[in-house]
Amino acid sequence: MTLADLLLTILKIAIILGFILNFAGLSVWADRRQSALLQHRVGPNRAVVKVPSNPLRLVIAGAAVAIGAPFGFFFWNAAPGLEQARMTTGLEVAILVGWFWMLLLSNHVRKHGADNGFDELVSRVPPRNYFYAGLAGHLLVLPLVRALPAEVWATQWAPGVCGTLAFIMIAGAGFYAASKLPDGKTELRLAGTLHAAADTVKAFMKEDLAPKRADLLLYSIAPIISMTAALVTVAVVPFGSSLCFKDTNLDGALDLHELGGLANVIDASGACPANYNTVPFMIADIDMGLLFVFAIAGTGIIGAALAGWASDSKPALLGGLRATSQMVSYEVALGLAIVGMLMLCGTVNLREIVDWQGRNTWGIFAQPLAFFLFFAAAVAETKRIPFDLPEGESELGAGYFIEYSGGKWLLFMVGEYAEFVFSSALIVTLFFGGYHLPFLQGDGLHIAFGDSVLYELKMSHLSVTIIHFLAFCTKTIGFVFFHLFIRWTLPRFRYDQLMKLGWTKLLPLTLVNIMVTGAIMLAVDAGGPQVVKGLDLVADITQGLLAIGGLLGSIAMVTWLLEPPKRQRIVVSTSAKLVDAAGGVKPSRMQA
Amino acid sequence: MSTTAPESELSQNKPWTKRAVRYDEPAVIPRPKRTAGVQTYIPAWAKGTGITMKNFFVNFKERLLGQKRDPVLENYDGGITTLEYPEEKRPYPERFRGLHRLTVRDDGSMRCVACLCCSTACPAQCIHIVPGEYPEGDPRRGYEKYPTEFVIDELRCIFCGFCVEACPCDAIRMDTGMHPVPYDSRDQFIYRRDLMMGFTDRDGSRRSENERHEPGDPSHPGVTRKHDKH
Repeated sequence: MTLADLLLTILKIAIILGFILNFAGLSVWADRRQSALLQHRVGPNRAVVKVPSNPLRLVIAGAAVAIGAPFGFFFWNAAPGLEQARMTTGLEVAILVGWFWMLLLSNHVRKHGADNGFDELVSRVPPRNYFYAGLAGHLLVLPLVRALPAEVWATQWAPGVCGTLAFIMIAGAGFYAASKLPDGKTELRLAGTLHAAADTVKAFMKEDLAPKRADLLLYSIAPIISMTAALVTVAVVPFGSSLCFKDTNLDGALDLHELGGLANVIDASGACPANYNTVPFMIADIDMGLLFVFAIAGTGIIGAALAGWASDSKPALLGGLRATSQMVSYEVALGLAIVGMLMLCGTVNLREIVDWQGRNTWGIFAQPLAFFLFFAAAVAETKRIPFDLPEGESELGAGYFIEYSGGKWLLFMVGEYAEFVFSSALIVTLFFGGYHLPFLQGDGLHIAFGDSVLYELKMSHLSVTIIHFLAFCTKTIGFVFFHLFIRWTLPRFRYDQLMKLGWTKLLPLTLVNIMVTGAIMLAVDAGGPQVVKGLDLVADITQGLLAIGGLLGSIAMVTWLLEPPKRQRIVVSTSAKLVDAAGGVKPSRMQA
Repeated sequence: MSTTAPESELSQNKPWTKRAVRYDEPAVIPRPKRTAGVQTYIPAWAKGTGITMKNFFVNFKERLLGQKRDPVLENYDGGITTLEYPEEKRPYPERFRGLHRLTVRDDGSMRCVACLCCSTACPAQCIHIVPGEYPEGDPRRGYEKYPTEFVIDELRCIFCGFCVEACPCDAIRMDTGMHPVPYDSRDQFIYRRDLMMGFTDRDGSRRSENERHEPGDPSHPGVTRKHDKH
C-alpha cells in the first residue's frame, strides 16, 4: 500500500463515517420531526444559534464562488469529445440555479416585502411559474445544443461561455442571498436540525449512572460493541463508482504525484482503461463483501445481549434475551432472502452486484419477492417498529438499555440509527441499483432500448462519478425516510407473532424464492440467445420506467410544493374573534 | 304460571321500553373475514403509511414555505395547531389584567398620593406603601403625600384588579399587557416603585387618559390651597 492509497483510504473512511454519523444524527431529528408533524405538532425546533451576519455573508458568498469556480475555470479547456457535454452541463446548471433562485426570491419577497426594484420585478411572477419556465428551459437545451453546428460547439469558447454563465448565476445567487441576510445577527435554526446536535451535547454532559451490582466492564463495552458493529459493516458498501488515475510510472501502484492524472473519459462499462489505477468508492473492496456484512452485523447481537446481562436488571435481561433471539431468528431469513440475487449476480462482492444491476436491471425488478422479505427481515434485524420488542416501552421500559444513561445511552442510540442508515444503504445497494441511475453509464448518458438509441450525451469521468455519489446518498436518505414512515405507522407485533412470521412465513418464502429463481435461470439458459435478448429489452424498459417515473415524480413533487395552500378561516369562538381582530396570531409587542 | 307477559308483548305494548337482555340467547358476533389482504397485512400497511406520509408532507411543506395555518383561525381542517411561544403569541384581550404600572403626571412625577386605598383593598396583601411628605417648598407639601416606597410582590398578587378599582387618582393600572417573566429567584418578583413607573400601557404611554387637576387649575376652582382656611 502506497502513501497515496493510505491517504485515500483515510479520506474515504472520513467521508463515510461523516455521512453515517451525521445522517444518524439527522435521522434522529427526522424521526422526531416526523412523529411531530404527522400528529400536527411542531417537533424539536428550539435550538437556535445566533450568528453575526457579516461572517455568515462571507461564508455564503465564498461557498457560492467556490462551487461556481470549476464551471468558470475548467470549461474553458474542455477535453476533445466533451465540448457538447460541457456546453449542455453549463447551460443546464445556469438554468437550474436561475429558476431556483428566482423562485426562492419571489417567495421571499411575497412574504417579507421588496427591498428594491429588482425584487419587485421578480415577485410579480408567481413562484411556480419560474419552475415551469425552468423545466421548459431544461428540456429545450438538450435538442438545441445538439442542433447547433459542430463548428460552434467544437470551439474552445462555446463551452467556456456556458461554464462562465453557470459561474455567474451561482456566484450571483450567492451574493444576492448574502445581501438578503438581516443586519446584525442571523438566527440559524436549520429547520430544527440543531436540536439533535444540542441533544448530543446534553447527553454527554449528563451523569453517567451504572447500577450498583452491574458488571462494569461488560456494561461499559456493550454500547461500544453495538456501535462498532454498525459502523464497521459500512466498509464494504460502495458509495460511488471508481475514479481512474493514470499510472505514469507504470508500477501498478498509485503514487502521490499520480493523483493529478485523473482520466478525462472512460468507456461505458465504467472500468478503468489499461495503465490506469482504480480507486473504488468503498473503504475495503473485498470479494467476500456480503459475508463480511453478515459476520460483523452478527456481532451486534453480542452488544445487546451483553447490555442486557451486565445491567443487573430484569427488564434489561428480558430485553437482551428478546433482542438476541429475534436477531438470530431473522438473520436466517435475511441471509436466505438475498441468495436469489447472489445466484443472478454470481458474486458476493457488493461492487460487482451493483455493477450487475447497472448492466441489467435493478434488483427490485429481478427479485421483487426477495426485496420484501429482505426488507421485513432487515427491519426486524435493526429492532425497529413493528419489531421493536427488545425495547418495548409498554412492557420493558426501554429493554436492554434501560439502565444506561448519558454518553453510553447515546452510543446505543447512535449505533441503532447508524445501523438503520446502514441497512438502508444495503437495501439500496442490493435492490435499488446502488449508485447507478437509469441510462447513466461510465461515459455518459445512453438512452437506448435494445438496439435503438434515442439520445446520447458524452460526459466526463469526474462528473459521472460525482453524479453516482450523489445518487447513492439520495437513495439512501430516501430509504431512511421510508423506514421512518413505517415506524410511525405500524403498531408493535406480539412476540409469538414475531417468531411465527420469521420462522413460518419469511423463511419458507425465501426458500421458495431461491428455487423459483434457480428454475427461471435454468429456463433462460436453455432458451438461448433470443430469450436473453428479450430479457435485455425488458430490462431496458424497466430502466425507462424508472427514469420516467423519477422525472414525473420529481416534477409532481415540486408542483405540489409550490401549490398555494387552501385556507378556511373560521371565526366562531371568543378567542378566535379576538385573534381575528388582531390580524391573526402574530409576534406581538407584548413581552414575556 | 308466570304472571308477567312474554317479552315480545311487552315491547309491543310499550315501544318505548328497552328490550330486556336475555342471556340465554347469546348474540352471535360474526367472525371477521380474514381475507388474504387482511392476513398479509399489506393493504392496511400501505393505507396507514399513506396517511402518515400525507400528514407529514403537508405539514412539512407548510412549515418550509412559511405557509403554516393560523393556529387559531385556520386549524379546522388539520394542520399544526401549536403556538410557537414566544415567537408567536395569541393577543391578549383588551381588558386583560397584566402587570401593574404606576402612572405619571405631565411633569413626570408619579400620580400616587400614598392614600393606601390599594393596599387596603388588596385581598392578597401584596402591596406595601410607605407614605412620605413632599420636601419643603414643594407646592404639594401639606396638600398630598407621595409613596417613598411602593412595593408589589407579584408572587402574592392574584391579579384581581381591586387595587385599580380602589385608586381615587388613577395612579395604578394593570393595562401593560404583560405577564411576569419566569425569573431565577423569588426576590426578583418584588416589583418596586421605579420599575413600575417605567412600565407603559400597550401603546407605549406612561400617562393615564384621565385628566388630573393640579392645585391652581382654573377649571377646578375648589382644588386650591386658598380653601385650606375653611
